[in-house]
This record gives sequence, C-alpha cells and structure tokens, in this order.
Amino acid sequence: MFATLSPTRASFRAKPLNAVRLTNVGKRLDERPVLRDISLEIAAGEFLAVLGSNGAGKSTLLKLLIGMITPDEGNVELFGESLRTADPAIRRRVGYVGHQSMLYRDLSARQNIAFFAKLYGVDDVKVKTDAILRTVGLLERGDDAVKTFSRGMTQRVSIARALVHNPDLLLADEPFAGLDARSSEGLEKLFTRMNAAGRTIIMVNHDVPQSLRIAKRAIVLSNGKVESDRPTDNVDPELVLAEINGP
Amino acid sequence: MLKRISNVGFWLITAGLFTAAMVRLIINTPDEQTMGPIQKIFYLHLPVAINTFLACLVAFVASIGYLATRKTWWDDLAAAGARVSVQLCTIVLLTGMIWGKCAWGQWWTWSPRLTFSLVLWLLYTVYLIIRSSIESSERRALICAVYAVIAFLDVPLVYLSVRLMPDIHPSHIELAPEMKATLILFFIAVTAFTAGLIATKYGLNRVERGLHNSSETRATVATVGGFASC
Amino acid sequence: MNATAQILHLVQKDVRIEARSRQTLGLVIVLAVLIIVVLGLGLGGRPAAFDATAVLWVAYLFSGVLCFEKTMNVERQDGALAALMIAPMDRGAIYAAKLISNLLLMFAIAIVVTPAGVLFFSFDLSAAPRQFAAVMALSMVGFAAVGTLFSAVASSSRLQGGLLAMMIFPITLPLVISSTQMLIHLFRDHEPIGGLGLGILVAFDAIFLVVSWLVFEWVLEP
Repeated sequence: MFATLSPTRASFRAKPLNAVRLTNVGKRLDERPVLRDISLEIAAGEFLAVLGSNGAGKSTLLKLLIGMITPDEGNVELFGESLRTADPAIRRRVGYVGHQSMLYRDLSARQNIAFFAKLYGVDDVKVKTDAILRTVGLLERGDDAVKTFSRGMTQRVSIARALVHNPDLLLADEPFAGLDARSSEGLEKLFTRMNAAGRTIIMVNHDVPQSLRIAKRAIVLSNGKVESDRPTDNVDPELVLAEINGP
Repeated sequence: MLKRISNVGFWLITAGLFTAAMVRLIINTPDEQTMGPIQKIFYLHLPVAINTFLACLVAFVASIGYLATRKTWWDDLAAAGARVSVQLCTIVLLTGMIWGKCAWGQWWTWSPRLTFSLVLWLLYTVYLIIRSSIESSERRALICAVYAVIAFLDVPLVYLSVRLMPDIHPSHIELAPEMKATLILFFIAVTAFTAGLIATKYGLNRVERGLHNSSETRATVATVGGFASC
Repeated sequence: MNATAQILHLVQKDVRIEARSRQTLGLVIVLAVLIIVVLGLGLGGRPAAFDATAVLWVAYLFSGVLCFEKTMNVERQDGALAALMIAPMDRGAIYAAKLISNLLLMFAIAIVVTPAGVLFFSFDLSAAPRQFAAVMALSMVGFAAVGTLFSAVASSSRLQGGLLAMMIFPITLPLVISSTQMLIHLFRDHEPIGGLGLGILVAFDAIFLVVSWLVFEWVLEP
C-alpha cells in the first residue's frame, strides 16, 4: 500500500514549482499593442533566453515580470503568487539587470551595493557586499565612485547590485552589453554556476549563438507574440535567426 | 447625450436664448442707479463666472473618472472641460476688468475676486500647456488627470486665501425683480452655451483620437515595412 | 526593515550623495541670493520693508523648484529610480523620503537666504521671529509636498526646464497669499497670526500631503 502511494507522492513533490507563469498577458503602450496574449510557464531552476528583434517586446516582458509595469490583460504570477495581490516582499526573491546601470554615480561601488543590500533586508551587509564585489572582480576598486568606472565595470557593479540579495529569480536585460571578452566569459560562468545551484534565470540577449550555448530553453518573440519555444539542445542557430528576422 | 447637445438644433436654441436675453436686457431691464448702463455687463459676468466653475467641475469629475477606470473618453471629457473653463474664465476676467475700469477707474486691482479669477485662469491654462507637452497619450492622460484633481482641490483654498486680501468688490447686490429675471435668462443661455461648447470640444477630441490612432498604426506599419525591405 | 527605517535609509542616501557631490545646495543658495539682489535692485534700491516677504517667496519658490528637479535627477540619471521601484518596499516610502530630503534642502536654503533678505530689505524680524519661522515652515511643507509629487512626473516627457515651475507655482499660490497676508498683518499691524490664514496653510499641507502620497505611485516613472 505504501509502495503504491509513494510514487504518486514523489511525483507530486517532484513536480517543479513554477517560478513564473503568465496567462494570456497583453500589454499596450499608448494604445499600441506591445505584448499580445502571452502564456508562458517557466519552471524553477530553468535558464531561459528571450530572443527577438528590436521592438518585439522583450524588455517589456521583463518589466512586467519585475512589476515595473502592470499588464492590461491577463495575469502574471511569480512563485505561485499573482503580482496584482502579492506582498511587496516577493520582490526580495527577484533580481533585475536593466539597460541602465540603476546605480548612483556619485556613490562608490561599495556604498551602492550596501545601500541596495540593506534595502532588500540582507543581513551581514558588509560581508555580502565584499563577497559579491569579489565575484564580479571589483573588490579593489570598491571604494571608487561609480562615475569613474568604464562601461563594462559599471555593468559589473550593476550585476552585483542585482545579485547581492541572492535572488531565486534573475531577470537580465542584455547583461552582456558593454562587457569585454574576459568579463563576458566570467559572467557566462557565473550564470551557469547560479543556474546549477537552482536559481532561475531569464535573460534577454542579442547574441543568438551565446544564448543557445548557455541557456537551456529559448523563446523567440515576434510582434509581441511567442513565435517559438524550444529547448536549446541541438538547435540550429540559423533557424532561430531566421525566426527572429521574420519572413 | 453629449452628441445630442452638440448638434445644430441645440445651437439654434442656445442662440435663441441669447437673443431673447439680450433683447430683454436692452428693452426690459432698468439701469442700476449708481453704475448706470455699464452695470449691465454684470448679467453676463456672473453667469459666465458660475459656468467657469461648472466647467472646472466637469474636468475634475472626468479626471476622477479617468483615474478610476482608465478609459480614454474620460480624458477627452476632462480636456474639453478644462479648455472651456479657460475660455469662460477669459470672459470673466475681461468683463471684470471692464467693470473695474468703470467702477474704480482702473483696469486691474488686486481685489480678491479678480485675483481669484486670475489664479483660476492660470491653473487651467497650465493644464492645457501640460497637455500639449507630453507626447505619450497614456502618460498625458494620467498626469493631466492628477493635475486636474489637484488644481480643483486648490480652488477652494485659493478662494479662502484671497479673502484675506483687502476688498472693494460689491459683496452683495440688491436686484429688482426685472433684473433677477434677466439674470436667470442669461444664466440659462450661458449654461446651454457652456454645455454645447464642452460637448463639441469633447466630440472633436474623440474624432482626433480616432484619427491619431489610425494614422499612427499606418505609420508604424510603414516604418516596419521600410526596415524589412532594407 | 520597516517603513520608517526604509524612509530613513533613503534620506540618508540622499544626504550622502549631496555631501559627496555638492551638486545642489551651493548652486541653489547662490541662485536664491541672486534673486534677492536682482529684486532689491529692480525695486530701485530703496525697497519697502514689507517687500521682503514677497522677495523671500520668489527666492524660495525658484530655488525650491530647482531643488526638486535636482533631487529627482539623482534618481533618474542612471535609472536608480527603477531599482527603488522594484525593491521590496511600498512606493509611498519613496515619496516620503524624497519629501524629507527636499525639505531638508529647503530649510538649509532658508537658513542662509532669510538673513540675506532680512538684511538687504531692512526687514525687522525681531518682533515675532518664531511666528515668522512657523508660517514659513508650514508653507514650505505644502510647497514641497506638491513639488515632490510633480518632480516625479517631469521625466521622459519634455516637462523639464520651466514646466515643473509652471505646474507648481499656480498650485502654491494659496500658500503665498495667506502667508504674506498673515506676515503683513503680523509685522505692520501687530495682529497675531491665526484664524483663517493659518487654517489655509494647515489645510493645504494636509490635503496635498495625503493626495500626493496617494497618487505618487501612479505618476512615478523611471
């Protein structure tokens, strides 16, 4: 009897909790549809690349997930909670890297990270700040003002800001923009490591071969709709490129 | 209902009301003793002043409606109300100044009510300027609605604060029964005129929004097509 | 962190940025003093003592608007505002913190600029310095409440450069009218402040603090 029960229980437990679930989400900006009827489930622990041409709605999709904008239609759920009703505390589980650095240029890298760490209720702010600065390779420059940094270094501080509270879900909008080859490789490794540790990553990226290499699943957005959705194993980059560029 | 108000028949009735009011004003209404014939400007001044306030009220209610429902027609109605309130307030200011020139020998005095009209005019003129300076239609509607709510809440505070200023405005006017009848006739005519203006402006706003949307869609299609063919 | 701690944390950050960059305070104080000098000269070099309240108001209004613009720009420059909006806290805390930061700056301005106005215009404050401070402080709270709200608006749109002032000035006129009338009655006629004037100031502060706090989340744009 127990033997018959346990597989069901096991499968129930093994059923991965969704990190993100969108149901029939639509968003208009100035009466122009940007996202139309998007339904998407992203399981916890997935590594998703969002691809598409300019204006396909990729950044808007991330902004919806982060709660920066609200959908006109449909529902967005993070970790099983609808964003409409969820407590702001749920944002503690999410990290976001955007187009802009989202830092205070007059403060030092360390002050910036510590400020956001404290805002997110991180304990041991000093230790965590140093640790994340070391991870992005900026420990020695930590006390310099962000405005003295190059674009790539600023981007690395920005990534550190998004990760200092150890989020379960990372949303990254072109995180590789402005990074040199070495930093780019470092960030790839960091993402792979985070994903291996069970973190969910959703990344918007223009570099198709790179996305297919590091992500486990790729979707192509076109005109605000999901054009294709597939695992990245053995996918021909040319095929994906053709989908992105459209007919 | 708004459509019916803005049609030709309605305007004809309004014109008729105005003609009747003017005829009554010239033939049937006695001159006021101290001021003489110039006092007759008052029959236009007061109804327009009241209707200015009503137009502001329309803008306020429509703005609340927009904030609650986010439907664009509320925004168009708010814009119509604000525009008409500025137009009417201009008339109030001009008639008030003419009155002031005749009564006190000066075009402008910082009397409480003139000041009040001026501040009201400024508040809603700024509304129109904000409208014209925000490109995104969604942001424009939202910010204008917030501004209109705040401006309307400001109106009673302005009204109270100008009462702290020294006053020479006639505070109460004794009116003979014939004068009262003329005033009421003018009030009806001006109110009809205001309603017609708001309805017409609202209709224009609706049409403009419809045109804008369709032309924008076409422009987007053209741009996308252009890039694709490159 | 609870809401109070969050607000203090944000204010502390603003103060730290101002201390490090010294972008706002020096510039704004010099502007305010310049306004006073220009008006003093424009009034023919022999201004009446009661012109001082008007002159101080002009200085406060213009320097205040510049403050609101600058403190919001700090958030906008690299999109830090977006990071605050997605942080696990109520967005009302952002409003409260910005309001406090703006008030701190404005009080700092007032501490420098008021003596300048008093000096240049031979305006004798000694009869009722505390009432003067109370009236001005109450006015500034209302002014900053509206200013902080609209500074959140003036972003992506072409609203910067003058338009923020245009939005705030007409709204704040009840404050200007009541406070100047009260101060004239206080210093010229030696009548105590209070009654209607004070009521208007308090009502203005209360109404616009509540309304701004309620709608701030909507108008806030990264």
